[in-house]
Amino acid sequence: MSILETKEISKQYPGTLALNQVSVSFESGKINALVGKNGSGKSTLVNIFSGAVKQTSGQFFLDGKELSFSSPEDAQNHGVATVYQELSLIPGLTVAENIFIGRLPVKGFSIDWKKTYKMAQDLLDELGIDISPKEVISNLTAWQCQMVEIAKAMSHNPKILQLDEPTSSLAQNEVESLFKIIRNLKKKNVIIIYITHKLQELSQIADNVTVLRDGKLIGVREIAGLPHQELINMMFGNVEIKSRPADLKYSDEVILDVRHISDGRKVKDASFQLHKGEVLGIAGMLGSGRTELLSCIFGAQQAISGEISFQGKKIEKPTPTKMNNLGMAMTQEDRKRIGLNLNGTIGQNLCYASLNRLGNSFIVDRAKEKQFINRQINDLAIKVSSTDYQVSSLSGGNQQKVVVGNWLNIEPQVILFDEPSRGIDVNAKQQIFKIVWDQAARGVSSVIVSTELEELIEVCHRIVIMRGGKTYETVLPEEITIEKLYSMCMGE
Amino acid sequence: MEKSNSSVLAKILRKYTLEIILILTIIVLSFLSPYFLTVNNLFNILRNISLQGVIAFGMTIVIVAGELDISISSSVALTGVITALVAGNLESAGIMSRSAGVIPGMILSLIVSIIIGFMNGWLVTKYKIPAMIVTLAMQNILYGIAALISKGFPVITLPNWYSFIGSGRVFKVVPFPVVILLIFFFITFFLLSYTKYGRAVFAVGGNAEAARLSGLNVKKTKIISFILIQVCCWFSGIMLSSQVMSGTFTFAKGWEMTAISSVVIGGASIAGGIGNMWGTMLGIIFLGVLTNGMTLLNVNDYTQYVVRGALIIFAVLLSATQQHHNN
Repeated sequence: MSILETKEISKQYPGTLALNQVSVSFESGKINALVGKNGSGKSTLVNIFSGAVKQTSGQFFLDGKELSFSSPEDAQNHGVATVYQELSLIPGLTVAENIFIGRLPVKGFSIDWKKTYKMAQDLLDELGIDISPKEVISNLTAWQCQMVEIAKAMSHNPKILQLDEPTSSLAQNEVESLFKIIRNLKKKNVIIIYITHKLQELSQIADNVTVLRDGKLIGVREIAGLPHQELINMMFGNVEIKSRPADLKYSDEVILDVRHISDGRKVKDASFQLHKGEVLGIAGMLGSGRTELLSCIFGAQQAISGEISFQGKKIEKPTPTKMNNLGMAMTQEDRKRIGLNLNGTIGQNLCYASLNRLGNSFIVDRAKEKQFINRQINDLAIKVSSTDYQVSSLSGGNQQKVVVGNWLNIEPQVILFDEPSRGIDVNAKQQIFKIVWDQAARGVSSVIVSTELEELIEVCHRIVIMRGGKTYETVLPEEITIEKLYSMCMGE
Repeated sequence: MEKSNSSVLAKILRKYTLEIILILTIIVLSFLSPYFLTVNNLFNILRNISLQGVIAFGMTIVIVAGELDISISSSVALTGVITALVAGNLESAGIMSRSAGVIPGMILSLIVSIIIGFMNGWLVTKYKIPAMIVTLAMQNILYGIAALISKGFPVITLPNWYSFIGSGRVFKVVPFPVVILLIFFFITFFLLSYTKYGRAVFAVGGNAEAARLSGLNVKKTKIISFILIQVCCWFSGIMLSSQVMSGTFTFAKGWEMTAISSVVIGGASIAGGIGNMWGTMLGIIFLGVLTNGMTLLNVNDYTQYVVRGALIIFAVLLSATQQHHNN
């Protein structure tokens, strides 16, 4: 039996303490689940073990020997294998090639294919995986790829195997097949750390669970006999919810009516109504189709069926350009990749959506541009010494404000927010929500998608539950607890 | 205090690197060759760079928009061939003299240029084929068409007055192509820095998906940039055929290299979203000065190729390390 121990391990990022003196241990022969909501520090811990991140202070030991990695390759050479959510397989190559990539056996000057396939077959048999080593990856389904990933990780004979949300993209029956393989691994002398946010999986797969919250270790419990409620309390704590202003009321007028939207992939049948001045939340787990639903409404991607009415008019084939002109805005979740032009200045990034509103001719009305920029800098309290600086020089919270400000400049009727608080600190979050409420007070309606359910309870008038691409009941934040909302999103 | 002084100096050096290098080159060359710093030679340099310079301005827009156009050399040649052919054929058909007939020729070649630009842009944006491939293929197609319609010979049916465009001098001093170069500089500078279209070009080149999701029309912006560079090629093609007084299908070979080099030396990023007209202007002048200087110093033609190529790598390295500094 081997054991992985951490001793007062901490990780300090600028502005946040991601891990705060965590001392915990993981044993082999068991499946150790690691859970926690967003920002709890679980990914940071996984990244420290895998060599991708270096701790600020503290140590960790394998069987009493201290480990210290200079890189992920270094960690791998020392027996730490990590299977990430995003698959790392090369689609055009075979299963065997993927498993042994970079270290294929050679005979003379050429690859010893016979030996390669034999080695791969032996490994797959040992793990109980029924896939041919000669199969090309692109012919495999998602869960088969996940198994190949595990086989690839196991081919290094790791002492520690980290599985990061391996079921996130799998269907229910596929999950069971994957669990069989994982349970099989318990027989080997390997320490398995299983990271998940799907709490209902725990009783099926894990032996014990380690809970982190806000960078601190909350506790380790045996799964057997652990009440669901206790686990939830451990994860979320006594959540203090600062609610939206009580006098913020919305009217009866429906400004956006979405009926039976489907995109043929993630969104199956989604409907909701948004009223003038309302803040509506869409609650759902990762992969429930929330972002895709917003994208369909905004025209960033095409819906294959369903109807959208905006301001009483039916919208045929929405596109971002069309919706922008009609007064609809959408802020993107991944602001660095698709929300901002990182080459551009702060000022430029505040005026992209409103470009056509900068004067009547083809020339940019510089006075108006200045007015547009200053308005957002002041209203949103964006901290900058000059708007001519690159937007990439701003902190995450201020970048998010630029994303929002870019859209407020079109004076929209409806704003769709996709994970507006992702990757920004608590203070900035409060400021973003204040912006949402201020807009609501002026009669602007908002739809907010967030994984952080306590935020939705804090901010919204009503919350629509979304699961597996479908919308279900609508709940009122006053009448629901975070635990209840969480279970509804999970479909329990 | 001393420290802040030196960092200010470093800042100035970084900001005006190209200007400083250009001035140093000019100083060195004026010592090496007494003829270099004469009014005649300086206008000569400007005249020599103006034909390719006009295209470099268009190329700046295309590159900032995140694309590339290497079909330009063939379309410059095709412009001359079409213009001369139309003038000649109208005359031989007895419809009008070649003096008048060259005007419909110029109009037709302009229309063809716009169509070429639209085709390039449409193929790149609609079918998501890399611009490198589309415009390389277009270069071949246009070269072939120019050779076919001219039957492989220079077409010399151009009227005498036409030579003014390429060889004339305003006030008997300033070469007419230099005037056109300056006009183009101001137009494209204004376009990129002061218009909504210019803003859209930077947004689209910097992050096309973010631009699309902000409601900007990415396809339209890119297609227009491809049309603009072809219009630049048309002007260049007219000037070139006028200088030589013929339309020849082999003209302008390799000009895409000069145009792209000037833009890159001027500090634009080939990945899009970064670039400016003043930088390109300096890039063109720098290449012109260098070529002129090397010729005056009797540097072997092939050596000149090596120097120019090495220089491009040097310029790209310089801008890469500068971006590293900024980060």
